[in-house]
Amino acid sequence: MSIDEFQPLDAALDAALARALVPPALPAGFPMRLQAALARQATGADERAVSRALAQREQRQRMAALDADYLQLRRRTLGTLIGGAFAAGAAVAVALPWLQASFGPNAIYVLAALGALVGIGIGTASWIGHLRLPKLLERL
Amino acid sequence: MHSAAAADAAQDRDILALLQSGAVEPAFQLTLGRYQDKVYRLCCALLRDPSAAEDAAQESLVRIWKAIGSYDGRASLSTWIYAITRNRCLTAIERRRELASLSDDAVAAEAEAMAESHGAADDEPLEGSALLRELVDGLPERYRRTLTLFYYHDRSVSEVARMLAMPEGTVKTNLSRARAALAEQLRRRGLSDPRHWLETSP
Repeated sequence: MSIDEFQPLDAALDAALARALVPPALPAGFPMRLQAALARQATGADERAVSRALAQREQRQRMAALDADYLQLRRRTLGTLIGGAFAAGAAVAVALPWLQASFGPNAIYVLAALGALVGIGIGTASWIGHLRLPKLLERL
Repeated sequence: MHSAAAADAAQDRDILALLQSGAVEPAFQLTLGRYQDKVYRLCCALLRDPSAAEDAAQESLVRIWKAIGSYDGRASLSTWIYAITRNRCLTAIERRRELASLSDDAVAAEAEAMAESHGAADDEPLEGSALLRELVDGLPERYRRTLTLFYYHDRSVSEVARMLAMPEGTVKTNLSRARAALAEQLRRRGLSDPRHWLETSP
């Protein structure tokens, strides 16, 4: 049975349902409360936009500072390497005559052993710092 | 009915034209004037609680306000608005279920007491419309929603179909089954001539 094929009972039921199921009216004050909610949302959206802009500016500043630090670090490392190489050359030029006088033909090996010791020392110190061994030892 | 549908479609086109010209706020105000009652009625039909329906209608309209700038007209405006409203109502129903599952013994006892007092009221004879509303409330959910919205919206099958996102044929079938179930319920209540009772009862 479709709604278009009304029997007498259906017609009576239809009329009674139309009387019984009256569409509910919007509650009093609903439009006002809605406008207030929309205003709150608009204010919140403005505040969020300002916060977002501030956060983005802060992030840009941090990235710029990080970039500057990184460049500075690279320059410092390069400077240290070049300076270290010249210092090592100068030290060899100064120390070699004295070492040859003390150790004779083995002076060159002594010099290489000293260089290796210094290198291993610097490397070990660097790895201790990198692995944070002192802190680990403190915990133990 | 067709001229009303044509007028509705023309108004929706006006809203879309306003949106395309960048006039978002006037478009929303026009949408509000046209749909806020319908949104509230849909919430009432889905949630069965006027207070929850008011909250859900407000949340839906705020969502529509937030999103209307990005509405592109691919789906019809009413379909888009009703989808947002249905989602809000489903969220509200889910929330209600979660709260119910969290209820402790005291709440359960109170609910039982309320049910008993409601049962006591059932013993009193109900007048036509009140009895009919009670019978409608007792229908399976899909029939109750369809029937309620049908009478809330001037018996418009197409409007109910859009609101519930179902084919018009399904709406008609649900209406027919709901009416059959109601007639059966009336007979079970001992009304030998339900038609006479429906026509004469207030």
